[in-house]
Amino acid sequence: MAELTFVFTIARKDLLQEIRSKAVTVATLFFSGIVLVILAFAIGPTPAALANAAPGGLWVALAFAGVISAAQSYQTELEDSAFEQLLLYPIPRATIFLGKLLANWLFMTLLGLLMLPLMVLLFGAVLEQNLLWLLLTILLGTLGFALIATFYAALTANLRARESLLPVLMFPVVVPVLLASVRATGEIVRLGNLVSSQDWLKLLLGFDLIYFVICTAIFSYVVEE
Amino acid sequence: MVKQFTGGVHKDGIFSAASLLKLTGLALEITVTKAIELHSLARRYGAVCVLRDINLTVSAGKTVVLWGDNGAGKTTLLKVLATKLRPSRGRGSVFGFDLNKEAAQVRKRLAYLNVFGGVYGTLTALENLELAATFYQKPLSREQLVESLAAVGLFEARDKLARTFSSGMKKRLGLARLLLAEAELWLLDEPYAALDESGKGLIDRLLAQAKESGRTVIMASHDLERSLNVADSVLHIEQGRLYTGTAAAKAAPLGLAHG
Repeated sequence: MAELTFVFTIARKDLLQEIRSKAVTVATLFFSGIVLVILAFAIGPTPAALANAAPGGLWVALAFAGVISAAQSYQTELEDSAFEQLLLYPIPRATIFLGKLLANWLFMTLLGLLMLPLMVLLFGAVLEQNLLWLLLTILLGTLGFALIATFYAALTANLRARESLLPVLMFPVVVPVLLASVRATGEIVRLGNLVSSQDWLKLLLGFDLIYFVICTAIFSYVVEE
Repeated sequence: MVKQFTGGVHKDGIFSAASLLKLTGLALEITVTKAIELHSLARRYGAVCVLRDINLTVSAGKTVVLWGDNGAGKTTLLKVLATKLRPSRGRGSVFGFDLNKEAAQVRKRLAYLNVFGGVYGTLTALENLELAATFYQKPLSREQLVESLAAVGLFEARDKLARTFSSGMKKRLGLARLLLAEAELWLLDEPYAALDESGKGLIDRLLAQAKESGRTVIMASHDLERSLNVADSVLHIEQGRLYTGTAAAKAAPLGLAHG
């Protein structure tokens, strides 16, 4: 059970650091909001077109915000060589990954929830119906995204061009998660088709499980120099 | 050959000198525990070879000082011993545990102090230490942690964010974490750097205590004159090569000759 304590301690540390610095919160909230406003403005006032674009808008905003969040979670580690120290504690290195994943996931989920009112306001999306299914989609989608983002952010943490390399490396891998998330959200929000959305959610769950096992298993090799 | 036994941890289990004597009932010959053994060890960064053909044996309880110019390979050697960096060639062990294959076991036996202190700026001194206590699995109360901070001169700064600290204060916080670990092996990278006179005195006292308690210490230092007070041996690193003979020659004028 000590491992679980390590995971929660690392996640708590990351969230506490973010609450104090607010570096990622301000940047991602502003960025995500701007993305949704621009998208809604570009699509125009047609209600049907706006409703069609709502799921895509939500996940574009979340995806870009997720990259910023994951990159920043390692940036704070690099100051004063804190990450070096973290790696030298007598704890399993997988717990470091899981702790950072938990923090990134919670942050992205919270951001997704904050985006929902904007979706209603800007895109006229109807969320009251099947809200629980939509929340499940956000939970599974952000988990998949956070898995890949946390993993690749660790991989590029020590590189000089990490800001530009991170999205280039991770987006091809995370595409299945994003596609499944957009389709599941579309089925729920736009069509209210729960049966069809369940197929996408199962696919999303499958991706999450595969990525979870692989990323956790090979994280210790990734941070090895 | 009977020289010294400080107790230690072997692959076969944990034992101490006292328990061994109790078991056998006799004061038998006890071999010296090897804290560190490196054989033909090398480390490269891409095409650049930073450590070359390092052969080293350090007995448990000894204090060894590494000195050399900037970029000679002192920090890299410490990081290899700490399992932060993998050797590119050769092999090594810490207390009998292989640096590559048993890195997790090695990490359980060491504490590392890096040049910058390795602290989180957005956490307070106390929170930084709480974090370390959790990872070292030391269930200490807040009062005990405050005492640890007081021992390194950070009592007044206990609730301040570490980002407001000077380099010396960050180093002191790193020292508090080092003490918390109660590790058998200390790896210290420039422990005197950034510290004021009282801080340097603190390091001197801690090194003296470490020697008394049979701890093994490997430290990289430019402050050779100061380090000589506690060093059992001085090793000179030059362009990634370890010279004990050169160290003896160079250290002799400073009052320590060690082959």
